[in-house]
Amino acid sequence: MEWLPLYLSIKLACVSTCALIILAAPLAYVLAYSRFAGKSLLEALINLPLALPPTVVGFYLLVVMGPKGTVGRIWEAATGSPLLFTFLGIAIASIVYSLPFAIQPMKAAFEKIDRRLLESAYVLGLSRFATFIKVIIPNSIAGIAASAILVFIHSMGAFGVLLMVGGSIPGETKVASIAIYEATEALNYREAGLMSLTLVPISYAFLLLINRLNRSKSHGA
Amino acid sequence: MKRLAILLQVLIVLLMPALLSAEEKLNVAVAANFIQPVQKIAALFEKKTNIKIEATYASTGKLYSQIINGAPYDVFLAADEKRPNLLYRDGLAEKPFVYASGQVILWSAKKEFCQAKDWREAVQNSKIKKISIANVKTAPYGAMSMVALKKAGLWEGLQSKMVFGQDIAQSFQYAFTESVDMGFCALSAAFSDQGKNGCYLVVNEAPTVVQAACVIKQSKKAAAARQFADFINSKEAKEVKMSYGYR
Amino acid sequence: MELRIDIKKMLPHFDLDVSFVCEDERMLVLIGPSGGGKTTIIRIIAGLEKPDEGSVAYNGETWLDVGKSIFIPPQKRRLGYVFQDYTLFPHLNVYGNIAFSAHDKKDADELLRVFGIRHLRNRKPYEISGGERQRCAICQALARRPQVLLLDEPFSALDVITRRMLRDELKAMKSTLSLPIVYVTHDINEALFLADDILPIVEGKIARNWMQQTITRTVSPETGRSRAVREPRLSLAY
Repeated sequence: MEWLPLYLSIKLACVSTCALIILAAPLAYVLAYSRFAGKSLLEALINLPLALPPTVVGFYLLVVMGPKGTVGRIWEAATGSPLLFTFLGIAIASIVYSLPFAIQPMKAAFEKIDRRLLESAYVLGLSRFATFIKVIIPNSIAGIAASAILVFIHSMGAFGVLLMVGGSIPGETKVASIAIYEATEALNYREAGLMSLTLVPISYAFLLLINRLNRSKSHGA
Repeated sequence: MKRLAILLQVLIVLLMPALLSAEEKLNVAVAANFIQPVQKIAALFEKKTNIKIEATYASTGKLYSQIINGAPYDVFLAADEKRPNLLYRDGLAEKPFVYASGQVILWSAKKEFCQAKDWREAVQNSKIKKISIANVKTAPYGAMSMVALKKAGLWEGLQSKMVFGQDIAQSFQYAFTESVDMGFCALSAAFSDQGKNGCYLVVNEAPTVVQAACVIKQSKKAAAARQFADFINSKEAKEVKMSYGYR
Repeated sequence: MELRIDIKKMLPHFDLDVSFVCEDERMLVLIGPSGGGKTTIIRIIAGLEKPDEGSVAYNGETWLDVGKSIFIPPQKRRLGYVFQDYTLFPHLNVYGNIAFSAHDKKDADELLRVFGIRHLRNRKPYEISGGERQRCAICQALARRPQVLLLDEPFSALDVITRRMLRDELKAMKSTLSLPIVYVTHDINEALFLADDILPIVEGKIARNWMQQTITRTVSPETGRSRAVREPRLSLAY
């Protein structure tokens, strides 16, 4: 059985989860606490990958990250190599695809914090940023954990998007979901079955880990 | 009672097309390299016989696995002989027949990449960062491309530049959108509207792709299916095939 | 040294327009019916809300002047603010909460001792009683050595007995603190007990006659006759 696709899937999921927890937090903060013109537009834009079929998301990413697309062109000019068909390319695709899953639980957790707690922090001398780090985050661990779970699981299962922008390169972009699909097509049901079976305990182990972390950190708030 | 009436009306409206269609319909599984030719052939066939052709395009391997799992196709146009023969051997299809011979080419949207002695030199150009190729396990054109690369001793060395499309059409799509610099495609791609604007080099080391077709045994429209199968090798169909570079 | 406030703000049901002074070592109580603007005033002093016009200054330092576009954020005003609830951080224990913004950790220890809650230092806020929580909240506010102490109905959510107890403690504590204290309540008895100065606020304005109109008459247990309650000095601007 090929282990490389499984390793790639886990690597992709870990990278996406870490990146999104960091990227989504400020966005969730803005959506939870700020009021500005166009806020609902921004929120709808962020949630777009939820409403579209993954292949549509993949198609647009292919256009944007390709050599003629806005992002692809800048990247190629800066680094001399294409963005598509690389691990970084599928990582970006995975992040865009999972962004709404990261933001929603965090935003809900932030909104649940009573404003007076934040005001208390301000009066006690904390800047908005310090309040975010020292008060909001410690009191939203449950929401952050939920985000991490959703993003990890979602990334492990990413298929349609990666089919469009991945190019199925072994060791680089051929993740488990694509490898299983291709094995099935090539009538290699044994290989497909083994890979599928191995994914189950990996995902389960991750769920357990996050739940453990969640329970130990968050008490009655 | 009112809700039931509405539901019935909706159902009738939805089923209307199926109920009223007097004309026959054939489900044809078509290998991805043959998309444009088969569309033209199907149009001619429909005009002649009033039988509509509904085609599904994918790699030969994918279509084969669907058929052995019971997918309701009437005719299978593959890109190799192996799979139709397997279907025949297992009693799932009638005797296969060759309907076209294709050729693997190396296509590029950028004319500068074709300015080489032959495809081997072109592919080793240091300016080329990515090359697309169809899935070697499920697409016969991909498999033949691999044969050619191995024969030329280039398979191992080019691995780092390779991008795998799900079928030969995706391989062409990557090359056409310039997501890759060059792509191993079917010759017919060069004759398509998009392909005409690029350039190509023939991959002689790749064996001729002999494409066979067969009628699926469990088809409920065997007569119509056989009619279409015969039409594929008719004179009008041959003209279309030749215009796309098939022999 | 004194805290000077002179503000105007348009609110949904009335216009807020007050002007007053609170001196060092004196507790000023804002009293009046609910929804009258008392909390808004305190929040403006804290810098959590802004008036439409006016200024807030302490010890000559302007914290807010709408006309001159001066606004010092709450973080820089060095205040203590005790809410009715939600002052303590749930993710920290009592000691962590009190030492949160203390310049000197020894201050935190001292406060724990003075308020008699040293035994609670490792407990989390949800593990202690309401009265204990409010004691901690006051310690948290004082740990920073604030220039002004603000309290917004700090004991309203507690039962009568605990409320009385904390009131007594605060009054005793008051003499050791040398800063101006602004206290908001709707309970007249509490106001009369704690205040050096009382400011009735009704529908956003200072209502000088409100005290006479609503003052509580207590019945003396010995004679059975009613007697008027002590009338403290009304504080006015400038």
